[in-house]
Amino acid sequence: MNDKAGPKRNTGDRVFRLITPAALLAGLALALCWVLIFVYAPRESTLGLPQKIFYLHLPLAWWALSGFFLTFVASIVYLRTGKEQWDAAAAASAEVSLIFACSAVISGSIWARASWGVWWTWDARLTTALIMCFVYAGYLILRSLDMPPARRARAGAVFGIAAFLDVPLVFFSARLWSYIHPPSISLEPEMKLTLAACLAAFAPLWFCLAALRMKLDLDGRRLDALRAERLSREDRRS
Amino acid sequence: MLKAALIIARKDLRLTAERSAGLAQAAALGLLLIFLFSLSLVPGQRMSAQGAAAVFWMASAFCQVIIFGMLYGYEGNKGQKQGLLLAPIPVQSIWLGKALAGIAMLACAQALFIPAAVIFLGQEPGPAWKAGLAVILICDTGIAVAGSLTGALAHGQTGKESLLSILVFPLLAPLFLGGIRVGSSAFGGSDEATGDWLGICLAFDAVFTAAALPLFPFAYSTDE
Repeated sequence: MNDKAGPKRNTGDRVFRLITPAALLAGLALALCWVLIFVYAPRESTLGLPQKIFYLHLPLAWWALSGFFLTFVASIVYLRTGKEQWDAAAAASAEVSLIFACSAVISGSIWARASWGVWWTWDARLTTALIMCFVYAGYLILRSLDMPPARRARAGAVFGIAAFLDVPLVFFSARLWSYIHPPSISLEPEMKLTLAACLAAFAPLWFCLAALRMKLDLDGRRLDALRAERLSREDRRS
Repeated sequence: MLKAALIIARKDLRLTAERSAGLAQAAALGLLLIFLFSLSLVPGQRMSAQGAAAVFWMASAFCQVIIFGMLYGYEGNKGQKQGLLLAPIPVQSIWLGKALAGIAMLACAQALFIPAAVIFLGQEPGPAWKAGLAVILICDTGIAVAGSLTGALAHGQTGKESLLSILVFPLLAPLFLGGIRVGSSAFGGSDEATGDWLGICLAFDAVFTAAALPLFPFAYSTDE
């Protein structure tokens, strides 16, 4: 491990330069999605208006899972290299993905109410999402503990890897327990296009939120390092 | 590695036997949970087989939190952890030793939970009791494998028991689902897909054993 007190000034700058364009792109793309969802896509005959939740629910769940995978990858790279930007990337990715996963669970619950008449039901995908919310909430609690930074980063990376390995096991066990999620939904071509647009629009949103969070984290660490340096200089003088 | 792990497991079990309060505390908590859930039944009523199996595994889950908090607490101060890490043994043998000791202690506690579930929750062993014993063995292995890894992560933290619960309970969800479903059939409930459940539990054991071996040295190290 070669954790340093603070990252170099230009760490990840190339990624951070993309935040503003990504935010603009996300804003425009989401505005377009809104039009597609409510104006372009036809209303589903059985469920009616609540079916529109699907266009938000699926991208939220999809990008949450992708983000958890990124946490897994960044955690492995951190343990191999000890570079703190990977630790920050893993944490930022988990934090944003947890918000996406919680939103997917809430929107899924609203869907369940409209579709099956109950707010919650033992559905494999919904249950998997809920359990993963608990797992990654544990991950963030572990990261917020008062530990030496290097140990906290290592503990977070170990748990970030173990957490993602659990995803398929949770999914298959929840599926074997009971399965009522629609296996495949037949969509009109307009619906497919709207769904694809929503999936694509959530990518820049996820990216700019995660990159901003990572930048904040690295800036915080840099400030801590500068403060520690100043205090030690003052100690030497006195 | 196995020899060193057995020595660590024996050392931990001897410490536990000499102090005795730790395991008794874990077992008492589990028994208390089973008793408290029995209060949800009116006199003469029997809990459903699935409900009883769920209470049994919940008691086991809380019991393992105390067990692994205690096992890693043995090297809690005065440089004992550093001493253990400096010993000329693979670091993973510490993880394996704690896991072996944890399985033994959990099995001791469960030997009390099973009759308690039968008595307090009105259960009777069904024809699938052999599958029930098999799932206890497989799930205990998975609980110990994951519990030993997360125990190392929570080591030295204040409130480590509550931290361990938050970390390990959601991770163990596949094992608990399997344990509850097969345990239900062991208590006389319907036995559907017992083989599939045992397969999922075995897969959990394999995945977390394979992951814990390379991850443990990062979870349990001296530079703090």
